[in-house]
Amino acid sequence: MSTRRDFLRDSSLLGFGATVPTFLGRTALAAPAADKAGAKDTVLVVVQLTGGNDGLNTVVPFTNADYYKQRPNIAIAKDQVKKLTDDVGLHPAMGALAKLYTDDSAVCVVQGVGYPNPSQSHFRSMDIWHAAGTAEALTEGWLGNALKKQQVPAFHLAGGNETAPLALAGAPVRVPSITSLDDFKLKTAGATGADNAVQKGVITSVANATASSAKPNNLLDFVSRTQTTTYASSEKLASIGKNYAPKVPYPTTALATKLKLAAQLIDAGIGARLFYVSIDGFDTHAGQGGAAGAHANLLTQVSEAIGAFYRDLAGRGHKDRLCVMTFSEFGRRAYENGSKGTDHGAGAPMLLVGGKVKPGVVGKQPALKGLKDGNLVHDTDFRSVYAAVLNQWLGIDAKPIVGDGFKAAEVFAR
Amino acid sequence: MLDPKTAWQPYAPTDANPWTRAKVGHLYRRAGFGATAAELDAGLAAGHAKTLDRILKGEPETDDFARTSEFMAGERSMPPGAPQGRLSAWWLDRMLKTRHPLREKLTLFWHNHFATSNAKVQNARFMLAQYRLMQEHALGSFATLLVSMGTDPAMLVWLDTNTSTKAAPNENYARELMELFSLGIGNYTEADIRQAAKAFTGYEIKDGKGVFNRRQHDASEKAVFGKRGKFTGEDIAKLCLDSEACPRFIVRKLYAFLISDTDAPAAALIDPLAEEYRKSGFDTGKLVATMLRSNLFFAPASYRAKIKSPVEFAAGTVRALEGTAGPLPLAGALEGLGQVLFAPPSVKGWDGGRAWLNAQTLLARNNLALALTSTDDARFGHSCDPTRLLDVHQVKPTEAEAVEFLLTVFLQGDAPDAARDKLLDYLKGARAVKYPAYWSATDAANHRTRALTHLVLTLPDYQLA
Repeated sequence: MSTRRDFLRDSSLLGFGATVPTFLGRTALAAPAADKAGAKDTVLVVVQLTGGNDGLNTVVPFTNADYYKQRPNIAIAKDQVKKLTDDVGLHPAMGALAKLYTDDSAVCVVQGVGYPNPSQSHFRSMDIWHAAGTAEALTEGWLGNALKKQQVPAFHLAGGNETAPLALAGAPVRVPSITSLDDFKLKTAGATGADNAVQKGVITSVANATASSAKPNNLLDFVSRTQTTTYASSEKLASIGKNYAPKVPYPTTALATKLKLAAQLIDAGIGARLFYVSIDGFDTHAGQGGAAGAHANLLTQVSEAIGAFYRDLAGRGHKDRLCVMTFSEFGRRAYENGSKGTDHGAGAPMLLVGGKVKPGVVGKQPALKGLKDGNLVHDTDFRSVYAAVLNQWLGIDAKPIVGDGFKAAEVFAR
Repeated sequence: MLDPKTAWQPYAPTDANPWTRAKVGHLYRRAGFGATAAELDAGLAAGHAKTLDRILKGEPETDDFARTSEFMAGERSMPPGAPQGRLSAWWLDRMLKTRHPLREKLTLFWHNHFATSNAKVQNARFMLAQYRLMQEHALGSFATLLVSMGTDPAMLVWLDTNTSTKAAPNENYARELMELFSLGIGNYTEADIRQAAKAFTGYEIKDGKGVFNRRQHDASEKAVFGKRGKFTGEDIAKLCLDSEACPRFIVRKLYAFLISDTDAPAAALIDPLAEEYRKSGFDTGKLVATMLRSNLFFAPASYRAKIKSPVEFAAGTVRALEGTAGPLPLAGALEGLGQVLFAPPSVKGWDGGRAWLNAQTLLARNNLALALTSTDDARFGHSCDPTRLLDVHQVKPTEAEAVEFLLTVFLQGDAPDAARDKLLDYLKGARAVKYPAYWSATDAANHRTRALTHLVLTLPDYQLA
């Protein structure tokens, strides 16, 4: 029987040139010891809340009478919120994150994040957040551009129906989307180990030959490059231990499963530093509920998954390497609609979680008077948050990526 | 790019640009779910005009198929709470067996256009009713389809119209009607949406049908696109149809679906077709015929200018293998490839194009190809055994002949020489494999044929439509 290691040695997998994910040729990076933001082994996990998360019911302004007036059916009662400050508190479903806030000082809430002339199309606004720009045609993402500056192993941890996000587009090597390590294998029907190796060799070498001969940017080039990076990644990940034992139990939700996989990849010592995950369902036009209900269920999933993820990594000594960042394409309208839901809005909070974030609530709480077409006016441009993450956390110059004029938001402890 | 004047003229074969097996394959992939070896031969022999006529017209379904499909869609086998897998398998089965593939293919286009997911609707009856609506008008009038969609029960649930009230309407349907279903972003204002939302009040579901309840409807005057009136939802749909942006939007989308999604066609190319479409009263069948007959459709720039969707990959593979894969496991496998019928990821539908392929979906494709061809996968067994295909076509296995045959059936020869050589090398090298002692020479030869077929299905070119 030939082993996987034999295959790696014998096959032509290693002859990929520029299309090989960087981690293939690299030994594991140094163990965690980040004592300052921007250290070389910091990890960023982006959590996308797809559909437009209702910011007002996530970070609740429980002393504001207008809030209760505008939302007669879905407002969160003052005595139910998880208080963060004298004026705002988290939704009651977010107990796990509230605990990280109060007990661990590991949460930074950025209030009122958005951008000028907000689009209320899911798809346009999502593209703007992904690309960190508002040009008419957006083809590259802010993280893809960051990867151009510094090639670190990155992963999109995907659900079944999910495509690769625009945020990662433009990376010099395509960021692999992975649903589960078990399924992340190229299978063949060889009669023997050697037969399998030969068959895999045919598949990879044809892809490789096509990748080096196809015209740049045509479809065949795209397919074959996707093949070469995928096969290489899959071989690498095959060596990662199957039996990951988390330090704390994870919930059984899809989001928690993705974050558990992220923890496993972080712990595997392959130098993985960038992860992208998403959870869908935040487009709550109808029946979104208040302290309980559809929106509450979503927030529970987010809070518990991130909570478990943080504690698992903290248990392994990685908490100071970790920064989880949540965002959504927009918040929702201040007034509830007649379907006991909310329509597409604008400004909304972002959450950053990790051992080195600046604990507390930063940015101005959006006013509920002086709404613009019923929308909360943003106070912090999201590109200022990106700038902080790029400059101070990943150590990548933000300016060429987010553009001029975005001063880094104060979201990390200095 | 072809001159817009000649681009949409009907293609006619010439010595320089003859009718070939590759063109037959191209037509079958775009207008349906791929060709069998026999269909490739027949299309080549019949010539281009006859083949196009036949594909555009379609054939009536066989009684047996029609009856079975109807039965499976009945209330008993498909109750409101029927599982997602059964629902998507039902349609996949139609795609595999229909004698009018173009109609099913265009139904899929409209499903991706009015992308509605049972994940929220949670009612297989509603989803089937929406399928029927789309299938009925797939090659008919888009105007009728767009108006009817406003009272389609699945859509009423999907975009919350059924809970939108006079007192405080929700904007979900009004927004997507303009942004995704008829005009595209930039062709309306936020004010148009807020006004139109008032018109989409009073729509309810009663006894499984979408009905208009005047008492819940906001009958006040609305201002939409600069026009004023006491508009209903139907009026708003008609206002959208009257907009210049509407036919262009649909023509562009259909262009990406049928011809190429790798380039953004120039206005000069789209506008004449959009004008014809509008004049015809949005006759989709006529538009599709113009596109499929055109010089542009058969031009090199359009050839393999799309990535196969998961459904095209799976159905095309099963059809070419002349197999009978169970639709239930096949539909299940499609989830890993990124496409569950009746469950698109969002109201925008599947992004399609390059988004079809990422690391995970690529491996899922490769591994589905293996599961179908290897015969030892519990889900598919021998249902698509490549050795039977070679037997039926009297091809000698494990010879250069087998490579040629498989490359012709699956790729109409579109494989680079390097790939051909690697496949031949594999067959030569495989003679040295130490097969289990109890295998007969035929067992070993069959094994090589199956492996070879799998390798063909992993070729980069095969991922392109």
